[in-house]
Amino acid sequence: MTTLKSKMGKYIVIIISLAFALFWLFPYLYLISSSFKPGSQVVSIPAKFFPTQLSLENFSALFSRIPAAQDMANSLICAVCSTIIAVILGSLASYAISRSGAKLSVMLVVLVLCLKMIPTSSIAVPIYGIITNMGLYDTRTALIIVYAAINIPFVMWTMISFYQGIPMSLDEAACVDGASNFYTFRKIILPICMPGIATAAIFTLFLAWNDFLISLLLTSINATTFTVGLSAFLSAYSMDLGPMCAGAFIFSFPVMILAIFAQKYIVRGMTAGAVKG
Amino acid sequence: MRIVSRRTLIMFFLPGGIFMGVFLVCPILKMAIDSFYTFDLTGVKSFVGLDNYIKAFTTASFLTPLINTLKYIIIAVTAELCIGLIMALLFEHEYKGNKIVRSLILTPLMIAPLVAGLIWKLMLSAQFGIINQILKNIHIIKDTNSILWLADGKWALLSCAFADIWLTTPFMMLMILAGLQGVDSSMIEAARIDGANKLQQIFWIKMPNIKPVLLTALSIRIIDAARTFDIIWAMTQGGPNNSSEMISVVIYRTLTRYNQVGYASAMAVIFVIILIVFTLVFMQSLWNPKKNYEGGKS
Repeated sequence: MTTLKSKMGKYIVIIISLAFALFWLFPYLYLISSSFKPGSQVVSIPAKFFPTQLSLENFSALFSRIPAAQDMANSLICAVCSTIIAVILGSLASYAISRSGAKLSVMLVVLVLCLKMIPTSSIAVPIYGIITNMGLYDTRTALIIVYAAINIPFVMWTMISFYQGIPMSLDEAACVDGASNFYTFRKIILPICMPGIATAAIFTLFLAWNDFLISLLLTSINATTFTVGLSAFLSAYSMDLGPMCAGAFIFSFPVMILAIFAQKYIVRGMTAGAVKG
Repeated sequence: MRIVSRRTLIMFFLPGGIFMGVFLVCPILKMAIDSFYTFDLTGVKSFVGLDNYIKAFTTASFLTPLINTLKYIIIAVTAELCIGLIMALLFEHEYKGNKIVRSLILTPLMIAPLVAGLIWKLMLSAQFGIINQILKNIHIIKDTNSILWLADGKWALLSCAFADIWLTTPFMMLMILAGLQGVDSSMIEAARIDGANKLQQIFWIKMPNIKPVLLTALSIRIIDAARTFDIIWAMTQGGPNNSSEMISVVIYRTLTRYNQVGYASAMAVIFVIILIVFTLVFMQSLWNPKKNYEGGKS
């Protein structure tokens, strides 16, 4: 009797969680189905979930309306380069902070935490002023350095908790053997911290790739990222919802795939750090 | 033994520090200074003292977005916490294939907020939106024009919150799930033997034990929700009639459309101070183990 009851309970849990998953994926599935509809069916009345015929019309409309390929390349280059800079500089700085007992390091931690809280929308315009003064308006370089700067506090915050999980005796041993701080960091600490680096890098990559506000302000023609390209459809008429869906799909599909693969890695990285601590 | 000397600390911190100094600290300082000035059309600035701050606290152009932001946080974060908790408790159960279902549900996590806004804008549009069509088909509303989600001031903010909830509930679930997996299973076993039913186990054993995780997740979400810009911009741009205007949107608009640098800076300074005070207070209560313990008992 009890086994029957618990079996029933188990099936109910499975059914409810499947329903939840389906419900949660519905908006994204609707986006996919909309982007493969013919343009006119996206705005058909009444709205239908399934397309009656498949069509790539929206995709060709997308590429003729906005420079999608160039925008995609810009997004990718800016996200990757800024991630590399942010991870290198952030992990270096946070290593020194976590291994120094000086009062200064506590102050720096508080500073970093405060910088992490700053809403981008409020500092966007002074940043615009600085970038135009440097003569970098509408260049990829501008986006790369600004993304890097904004994401460094995040990297540092993530890495400090990872470094704290590594026993200081390792550093001390290296120090006694005469290794310099930089050598210890590069040859001993970094290899152990690869899961942490991966976690920080993946999140930074997504933050830069998904950014909209900074790119909206700092670019106009040459360096526009894909999100800014997509926003061109916002002010347009309902007829353009088709290409907009196609764009949103192209933009988010690689991210979804990467997220599914990286997910295992993130979880593994996180648990590894926790166990060592 | 101090491994890293003060000099090395500064040398290691400096490269990243320069980046942060130029693009984070400088803008903040500039913002703080600008907030005491007004700028005329030619760019000449004149000192006005606290006028901008007084203006912010006495006019609806700042107070309405402030209240909207609070409403948005309360709606979105409460919903995320409740749904996230239910999901975590569901996905805690192990069965064949539950990992796959779990990773599927986590996928919205990495979608751009702008894209989430666009998807929900499409789904919530009045005539050709699928949400109203579904509501009509199950006879909750008579006509697809009965609820104008994005064009009606009553619903606009809630509609934007939908996109936020969809986007970030998986994060909440992930955090809570991580907390639940850390709960000592022998405690639950003991409670079960003592005759506690499932609900009692959840409320008296699991919930108090994951309280630190819950608080961390809550603080992260509250700050993120307060800073929301992309979703609002994609869905309503603050309209109709400022009904979904949030602080970040109003700051951006004041700067770029109306070019009132001084006033916008004052609003931004107030906003940043609120966020930092909130964070520090929250973090302190979180890092105080004694408090946590007492909280856990209650």
